[in-house]
Amino acid sequence: MDTEVDAIVIGAGPAGLAVAGCLSHQGAQAIVLEAENEVGARWRSHYDRLHLHTARDLSALPHVAWPSGVPTYPSRQHVVDYLERCAENVPDIRLGHRVTRVSEVDDGFEVAATSGARELTLRAASVVVASGYNRVPHRPRFAGEEVFAGEVVHSRAYRNGRAYLGKRALVVGAGNSGAEIALDLFEHGAVPSLLIRSPIHVMPRDFLGVPSQYSSLRLAKLPTKVADRAALAVSQLVYGDLRPHQIRRPKEGAITQMETRGRIPLVDVGTIELIRQKKITVVPSGIARFTERGIVCDNGDSHSFDLVVLATGYRAELAAFIVDAPPLLDARGYPRTHGASCPERPGLYFVGFRNPSTGALHDIAREAKRVAKSVAKTIATSGRRGEGARGRA
Amino acid sequence: MGEPSQGELRHWHAVLLSRELKDAPRAVTVCGRELVVFRVGETVGALVDRCPHRGARLSDGKVHLDQLVCPYHGWKWKADGSGRSPGNPVARPCVERFDAVERDGAIYVKRDGSEVAFPAVDVSGYHHVHSFRVDVAAPLEVTLDNFTEVEHTGEIHAVLGYDTDRMDEVVSTVTSTDDAIRVHNIGPQKPMPWALRKLIRLPDDPRFIDDWTTRFSPVHVVYDQYWLDEAGERSPDHLRAVVFFNPKGPKVTELMVRLYSGQPPWGRYGVNALLWPVLGALGRYEAELDKRLIESLADKSPVLRGNQLGRFDKALIGARNRIAKIYRGYD
Ligand SMILES: Cc1cc2nc3c(=O)[nH]c(=O)nc-3n(C[C@H](O)[C@H](O)[C@H](O)COP(=O)(O)OP(=O)(O)OC[C@H]3O[C@@H](n4cnc5c(N)ncnc54)[C@H](O)[C@@H]3O)c2cc1C
Ligand code: FES
Ligand SMILES: [Fe+2]
Repeated sequence: MDTEVDAIVIGAGPAGLAVAGCLSHQGAQAIVLEAENEVGARWRSHYDRLHLHTARDLSALPHVAWPSGVPTYPSRQHVVDYLERCAENVPDIRLGHRVTRVSEVDDGFEVAATSGARELTLRAASVVVASGYNRVPHRPRFAGEEVFAGEVVHSRAYRNGRAYLGKRALVVGAGNSGAEIALDLFEHGAVPSLLIRSPIHVMPRDFLGVPSQYSSLRLAKLPTKVADRAALAVSQLVYGDLRPHQIRRPKEGAITQMETRGRIPLVDVGTIELIRQKKITVVPSGIARFTERGIVCDNGDSHSFDLVVLATGYRAELAAFIVDAPPLLDARGYPRTHGASCPERPGLYFVGFRNPSTGALHDIAREAKRVAKSVAKTIATSGRRGEGARGRA
Repeated sequence: MGEPSQGELRHWHAVLLSRELKDAPRAVTVCGRELVVFRVGETVGALVDRCPHRGARLSDGKVHLDQLVCPYHGWKWKADGSGRSPGNPVARPCVERFDAVERDGAIYVKRDGSEVAFPAVDVSGYHHVHSFRVDVAAPLEVTLDNFTEVEHTGEIHAVLGYDTDRMDEVVSTVTSTDDAIRVHNIGPQKPMPWALRKLIRLPDDPRFIDDWTTRFSPVHVVYDQYWLDEAGERSPDHLRAVVFFNPKGPKVTELMVRLYSGQPPWGRYGVNALLWPVLGALGRYEAELDKRLIESLADKSPVLRGNQLGRFDKALIGARNRIAKIYRGYD
């Protein structure tokens, strides 16, 4: 038999916990379905060196303060502890429940999940998808990978560089993870290279001793063109011209790129300092193919490596479990609607699929409140999917 | 075994603060070696501070473009150790070079080709208050002993420490792994001037926590210091201090101390920023008190045998083993 509930939240990461926490704060009840056996599963398995690069006080979820003693940039472990605190406000979290299908039914949604060998279906008027924009690792395949004698890992599987003392390592992808993993490899005594194929914007995590996130919040209020200029000025002041180190700036401004293409700048936590000192070598061209001992680049150069870390990002892959998802998604596969019920499918919400310069967690905290309010209203008006939310009589 | 090995610069040693290295080269002594450290563009170079031609001090020379020019006959040296003699252009002299890197506001050097991890310390999210270097005329072990034991804090220290009269209440817990020793201390904070107590927002009769971890490649300690009230709640201010112990030779140890605050300078409407100079001066003063005491010891032998040790001295023995094994490289 199907179980009828008011609301279902998919995922017990920061976004799911924030929404469910807000709901229970408002006296509404939701069931949280989490595929893994612990809350905050992603943050438990990120690499050891990771800290938030957004400031603690701008990365708090609703109703839960960071405990005293946590520094401005909480460590990965601090975040995990914090998420556990957040979970204390959420009465009904079903761990080990992987959602396999979300489909629209007459007066709401049917959510199918597996728990071990068991399968179950739930029905709810409101469903909040909080499965994360980094759900599935994006793992490109390269010609010749099978002959490569070294090791290839995706950044999701990378914990630390302890096993790579003296090894030559290539990190592919100059996003935040890639840049920091190259730094981590240096610290563990490896000889790292970082593959940066396309032009990137680099922003310091701190500017004049203050988190750049504070200025980002201010910049976000300005016209895009002005914000682009300001970001460029900061980057130029801190890093100057990085072209001698094979790092090019895109012609398009940093804020424009973020708004139009969702491309976030690299938030530097020390990698650039090492690139300038030639402790991390930039490889400026993509991988054409692997060889037994390393890679050959598109530009014809070849390099030897013992390890290749693919920091090639993630995909949300929402269509994998949401039936008839395409109308809800944009060209990159992310939801079109944020912080509100989807107009195409009233009662279905997405939280945590944006990554603005002002910080994903900051955005999640705001969206979660709005979504919880909307869901609670639906519950209050009908207990089922409300007329208002449905939009058709 | 004659003189103890000085570690032979196998580890990354923090030898200078970034602010101390300007355009001119600087001489440093570490592990019994004299080095010259200099900037070339965005990188830092380190060579032996003795010109292989006729023994001049390269640290008395000048940097020209990417070369360090010897003050005696003007031979020019690159950071990679290769040299040129203006009077003999075909000659290819070379000088011993060291690896150098600048990180977290300090310059680190190690022997060329030595494969070791970098002593990364987690100060992410902490706010730099003050850094300084100070020489202590005592062997590495004896200096470290003082810095990894709290029983002296009541007698020696001005502010950061425990009340001597209530030292029996201090609980000190040691946990060790192969490459680290952690000591967690909790007990009554020694009396502190009222104004300072208010400034760092301490409750009445606070419990002081001094929780540190010592690692040995190279020898360095990271301290976390904070306070609890009677209910066990943490007070908002907390400090993290990083201290590197560099043996200059068998009888002199240099400390590089870096102080950080867990509270941002812009906190409390900027009051914290006003606190920084006070904290910095306090840190320096406390280190000076330790230095004076250590240098006044009647017995500065690094060997513990023959000493009557107390309950706060447990970590000292473990530290000796690890210094011998990890730092000095004896089996
Ligand atoms: C390396 C890294 C560093 C980051 N640093 C920052 C930072 O400093 N500041 C910041 O603001 N943001 C940062 N982010 C952004 C990040 O997206 C957020 O920190 C946050 O984790 C997003 O929360 P979330 O709940 O949306 O997703 P996640 O944390 O990914 O949580 C999603 C949860 O949903 C579960 N789930 C997925 N699919 C299913 C399913 N089918 N059924 C049931 N459960 C499912 C997952 O197991 C997971 O627990 C970082 C991201 C990464 C990858
Ligand atoms: S001693 Fe240096 S050049 Fe002669
Ligand atoms: Fe002391």
